[in-house]
Amino acid sequence: MINRNPNSNETLLSIKDLVKTYPNGTQALKEVSFEVRRGEFLVVIGLSGSGKSTLLRCLNRLNDPTSGEITFNGKSTLDLKPAEVRNLRKKVAMIFQHFNLVPRHTVLSNVLMGRLGDTPSLKSLFGMFSAPDYQKAREYLNLVGIAEKEKMRADQLSGGQQQRVAIARALTQQPEILLADEPVASLDPATCHTVMDYLKKVNQELGITIICNLHFLSLVRQYATRVIALKAGEIVFEGSPTEITDDWFARIYGHGAREVHIN
Amino acid sequence: MATAPEKFILIKKGFWGMKASLVKTTFFDGLVLGYLLVVVLIAILHPSDEQMLELSKNTLIFLSCCLVGAGASFLLNFFKLKTLGELIFEDAEAKANLVSESWYKTVWAWELIVFLVTTLIVGVKITQFSVFELMDQQGFQGAIRLFQGLMSPNFDLLPRAVLNIIVTIFMAFMATALAIPIAFVLCFFCAKNIMKTPGAFVIYMGLRTLLNIMRSIEALIWAIIFSVWVGIGPFAGMMALMIHSIASLAKQYSEIVESVNEGPIEGIVSTGANKLQTIWFAIVPQVVLPFISFTVYRWDINIRMATIVGLVGGGGIGTLLIQFQGQAMWPEVGTIILVIAFVVWFMDTASAYLREALK
Ligand SMILES: Nc1ncnc2c1ncn2[C@@H]1O[C@H](COP(=O)(O)OP(=O)(O)OP(=O)(O)O)[C@@H](O)[C@H]1O
Ligand SMILES: [Mg+2]
Repeated sequence: MINRNPNSNETLLSIKDLVKTYPNGTQALKEVSFEVRRGEFLVVIGLSGSGKSTLLRCLNRLNDPTSGEITFNGKSTLDLKPAEVRNLRKKVAMIFQHFNLVPRHTVLSNVLMGRLGDTPSLKSLFGMFSAPDYQKAREYLNLVGIAEKEKMRADQLSGGQQQRVAIARALTQQPEILLADEPVASLDPATCHTVMDYLKKVNQELGITIICNLHFLSLVRQYATRVIALKAGEIVFEGSPTEITDDWFARIYGHGAREVHIN
Repeated sequence: MATAPEKFILIKKGFWGMKASLVKTTFFDGLVLGYLLVVVLIAILHPSDEQMLELSKNTLIFLSCCLVGAGASFLLNFFKLKTLGELIFEDAEAKANLVSESWYKTVWAWELIVFLVTTLIVGVKITQFSVFELMDQQGFQGAIRLFQGLMSPNFDLLPRAVLNIIVTIFMAFMATALAIPIAFVLCFFCAKNIMKTPGAFVIYMGLRTLLNIMRSIEALIWAIIFSVWVGIGPFAGMMALMIHSIASLAKQYSEIVESVNEGPIEGIVSTGANKLQTIWFAIVPQVVLPFISFTVYRWDINIRMATIVGLVGGGGIGTLLIQFQGQAMWPEVGTIILVIAFVVWFMDTASAYLREALK
């Protein structure tokens, strides 16, 4: 079902003239257009406030775009009914800067929540997930190397561990795309690499397309297969990570900005 | 999904915009100055009792005074003389740039002082405050007899008092227990962060209004209503407490729901979960402990209120108390008061410990 070849040319997601204006008048996105191919590890960079989060949140409809066109697997995602939006979200999973796990539940229970979209309401209220659901949850906990912590409360884990649980939860949704909004921004440099390595593994071994917002260029160079840069809601750069020269850096982040390295 | 409330905010801003503070300021000052004006008028004109009873005419006079006050407030602020209302309601921006001025040079300080002094004088007049009455020999002797009665309780009544306080405790318990599930369901419908679409917003407003009305009617009044409806006795008292508890708990619960961390909600929504699942998995785990804590507190309040409700026919110890008080049987009343005091103290302490442990 999933094409494991990262170099395939199949277009998975196509964004055209996407505009998002918040009710207070902030134009977060101004006619953004780009395409995402299946199997890519696409990284979005840009200054704080440039619209990166808004962009990702339009893709899984956590935000409602003002105008434009988004097609996923050839179908428009902007005129969906609520139930169809939920179906879209199953296929376009997301992880967050602050992990967004449910604090009082166990790790395993948090991962099982990735199955909510496919579980009838009544069953889920009683926590009755199916045996295959449990199997999937444990499989992905294993994949992110945290299987032995399944009985612990989610809020007792370290930040890096919580983000790995969040990745496992996203994976149990069986998504085609994984959106990651600054997944390592609140982690220390070492942990940051661990989490990024797991994302890379998800991308390469499971063939899941990744769209990830990042702040550190050194990480971008190491993990991205392609980069787009946003500035004040517009795309100012699109290309491979090696093409981001000092000149481009100055243009994206403003003159006078200096690159910070993270090892 | 998110666009609807955003639209509402826009409309609201468009209508009031910067003027929101002006409306509040003028209204507040209008009331304060109008009230002062009315007091002055009464002091000067000495209206007769019959004249004081002409409600519609007096309302008209009061409202015109308020209008004059509002006009005065508007003019004062127009000439940059800050009134009390302006001080309270001005925008955050102006509050940040406070200029320090000697207080006695400001209009608002004098407005406040005149308001407080006038109210104190009016208060003394209206409550017929009199040191003389307090010191009156005959009355004083009566009070002493009463206290002596209270201090020598008649313990023959103890068994009946105990049975009645048990009734009261169970009234409070049933009222709380029945209110919990109803309030639990209602609270999500009156939490702003859940009711976001326009249709939902209408339900939210309607329910909030209804609950506010229910809450603004005291349990005492509900007890009077129910003692006529279902007859004097514990059932009437229980119903009164239950109605009041539903309204209070739903309000407190919904405030807790409104203050939950949005992170887990986004996390669950982004898995493709529906509304019910989101509430159950992202919100409920965050609110159970505060819910329990508020509920215990409500039970504690209900035990105290159950006594009061009994005074007007709600059954239990309150009804017993009013019987003996009516016959001026002070030693018996003393016993009842002792039992009530002990139970209230015990429940109060127990609930405090429980809530502390639940933090
Ligand atoms: N809910 C909102 N309402 C109004 N304006 C918003 C809202 N969310 C974001 N914005 C504005 O939209 C613009 C883009 O915000 P966004 O969060 O997408 O930026 P970002 O690139 O993710 O920044 P950061 O790196 O700080 O996370 C900013 O100017 C921001 O102030
Ligand atoms: Mg962001």
